[in-house]
Amino acid sequence: MKRVLAVLALAVSCFAQNADVVKQGEQVFAKTCATGYCHGDKGASSGAPRLAGRGFDQAYIANVVARGVPDTGMASFATRLSRPEFTAVVAYVATLNGIANPTLGAEAELPAARALTGDAARGAELFKEAMRGFGRCSTCHEVGGFGIPVAAPIAKVPESVAAFRALTTPKVKTAVLDGESMPALVLSERKQGPVFYDLTSAPPVQRNAPPGSVKFTDDSAWRHSSVIGAYNDSELAAILAYLRAVIKP
Amino acid sequence: MRFSLILLTISSAIAQDAGATHADWPHYGGTQFSWRYSALDQINTSNIKSLTPAWLFQTGDYAENLQATPIVVDGVMYLITARARVFALDAATGREIWRYQSPEVPRNVPGFIGSRGLAVSDGKVFFGTKDNYMVALDQKTGRQLWKVNIDDARQCGCNITAAPLVVKDKVIVGGTGGDGAHRGYITALYTKNGRLAWRWYVIPGPGEKGNETWKGDSWKFGGGSPWLTGSYDPALNLLYWGTGNAAADFYDAERVPAGSDKTKDVNLYTASVVALDPDTGKLRWHHQEVPADVWDYDSAYEVLLMDREIRGRLRQVLVHMNKSGLTSVLDRATGEFLGAFSVPEVRTWIAGITEDGKLVGRNEPQLGKTTTICPSAAGAKSWNSMAYSPRTGFLYVPVNELCNDITPNNRAAEEGKNYMNGEFPVKLAAGRSTYSHVDAWDPVTGKRAWTLPYKYVLLASMLATAGDLVFTGNPEGEFFAMDAKTGNRLWSYQTGAGHRGAAVSYAVNGRQFIATATGWHSSVVGAAAAALFPDQDWRLGSTLVVFALPEASR
Repeated sequence: MKRVLAVLALAVSCFAQNADVVKQGEQVFAKTCATGYCHGDKGASSGAPRLAGRGFDQAYIANVVARGVPDTGMASFATRLSRPEFTAVVAYVATLNGIANPTLGAEAELPAARALTGDAARGAELFKEAMRGFGRCSTCHEVGGFGIPVAAPIAKVPESVAAFRALTTPKVKTAVLDGESMPALVLSERKQGPVFYDLTSAPPVQRNAPPGSVKFTDDSAWRHSSVIGAYNDSELAAILAYLRAVIKP
Repeated sequence: MRFSLILLTISSAIAQDAGATHADWPHYGGTQFSWRYSALDQINTSNIKSLTPAWLFQTGDYAENLQATPIVVDGVMYLITARARVFALDAATGREIWRYQSPEVPRNVPGFIGSRGLAVSDGKVFFGTKDNYMVALDQKTGRQLWKVNIDDARQCGCNITAAPLVVKDKVIVGGTGGDGAHRGYITALYTKNGRLAWRWYVIPGPGEKGNETWKGDSWKFGGGSPWLTGSYDPALNLLYWGTGNAAADFYDAERVPAGSDKTKDVNLYTASVVALDPDTGKLRWHHQEVPADVWDYDSAYEVLLMDREIRGRLRQVLVHMNKSGLTSVLDRATGEFLGAFSVPEVRTWIAGITEDGKLVGRNEPQLGKTTTICPSAAGAKSWNSMAYSPRTGFLYVPVNELCNDITPNNRAAEEGKNYMNGEFPVKLAAGRSTYSHVDAWDPVTGKRAWTLPYKYVLLASMLATAGDLVFTGNPEGEFFAMDAKTGNRLWSYQTGAGHRGAAVSYAVNGRQFIATATGWHSSVVGAAAAALFPDQDWRLGSTLVVFALPEASR
């Protein structure tokens, strides 16, 4: 009897937890999926396909939310939603498809979102702060799913702000194209012609030059310090804290 | 008196020539005056019945429909598809000269799939991509010359879907994202090397004039994205562009400063037409059409430049419609307001407009309540362009009579995420049996000259020609021609798929062609409109269909 009660209690608590999660999922759905010309209130559609009453099972829903649908407006939400939000919205869409009591957290393969705090959290914002225009780190670096991967992934985080400002960039060369000299980050020197980034101004421009039209030399006057000038020391320290938190050597 | 009359005739002739295309269709809007008018008249009202398909081109890109306006230069057509596949075709035969395939955009990039066109200039072909790359190809070979990313779509929630505009040594482009928490902008790059020339933010930052028309920090996420293509007047050296709606779309309490006078200049420079210096990107003047917009009434639409006599004086004017169907006529040198008229037959968002252009009787949706607003946020006219014929002096406009039930909410902004702040299911205007019409409007008198009703919706651009013909297509697949003077339907051809793109006219070796994009739009406005007519099954597709008179009959 005691055992039966315990099981029952467990079931009740699971159910209560489910209801909370589904409720959270409804909120996530309302602000992420129901909006604009997308899936509409309660998945009834306002442009994108109807999601209610389609007979979707939970694995299918999780898969589509995680991976998106190629060549449609349906993007992957694997990194755009936090893990709890993801679980919740999948559960909610399951209830729209007649699954009264969805399983929670069945989507084990998803990357867990990292929670950042303090300086690292501030650094994450500074790294990609929109009002900085092209003077932000994310103009050339992709970290944590944001930014343009002009530079190779950051492998080593400078130890101090001073070291950050003194960073050398041995890969940056000087290119001469049509008589004009420019700092260049070379991607390839293949037979069909070299591909490089012109670093003269931000944002960097990928140039595809005809074979034999560019002359590269191994040094450049370009300095990384010239493109981080809009950040002060305290901001750079926060950015370093962020990079340390997310970049694992 | 006679002398001034002659003078008028001469300057009109100059303006008329500047706005018309001839053998080429060199720009998105035809010329940079954006008339979508061809001076070719080989195909005309007397022989239109013989118009027949000459060739067609299947793009093979069926991710979305074909929305792009083709560009034709020296007998070569340049065409871009939804996923930014670019083709150069022999414009007389459809033979492929080269093709360029953009890399697949990563699946976690949010936003719209679609491209409304490209630009050709300086020996290059320019276009933007969903993930915000601006790309330049060699016009002769299709080889990529440069590309540059102008924003991370995963962060801004914005994409490039518009055709760029080339002005002198710069390629200029707007972006989407104004229905999200985003601060819209226009970006100019040097055609030669892709380097940044300037960026103009629709919303002024702290310390800049106009920032005071925003409450607190709301300017950071106030939308305004100029998501279509502007116009250019070389004589005045002014660039004209329409800007998007303010965000949050349907709820303004977080962005309108307390005590604002909503009749003028609130949330600048959203829902406006602006004149910029193309060399520097500096604002010269602005005219805001919808201050403190709460209906999602973008003003991002095309800007038509023409010279017309108004109240006895020849004026250099600009004609600009926003989503509400409210159409402004301004002096394009100074921005002076000369008049306005409203095109939809069903209108509930305002009671009217004063002679000096102020909105009267605003019907604002209230937080948590549902208000029926007409026209709908899909637009009295959608993004597709109107046309203008200098022979009739009429604008040709596809108008839809739809409404939406707007229920605003006050959700907080999250960067790059949807920030419409409202549900707004679209519905048919009540008490009607037809829900759209092609209209001819005289921009000087503000009067409708004729109207041709249609049962469903009209979401394709218009083309006018010197043969006194006006062309467009409907969702059922018919591409049809009307008499520009009367609106009589003279000819139609079933192309096999719905129309949501644009038609152009050009000539090769003396033979005039009319080319139209086909394929119904399967998401956003196209899907929302289709849902209103559940018994219809408007066909998707991505095919360019090209018409001419039979060789023998020329």
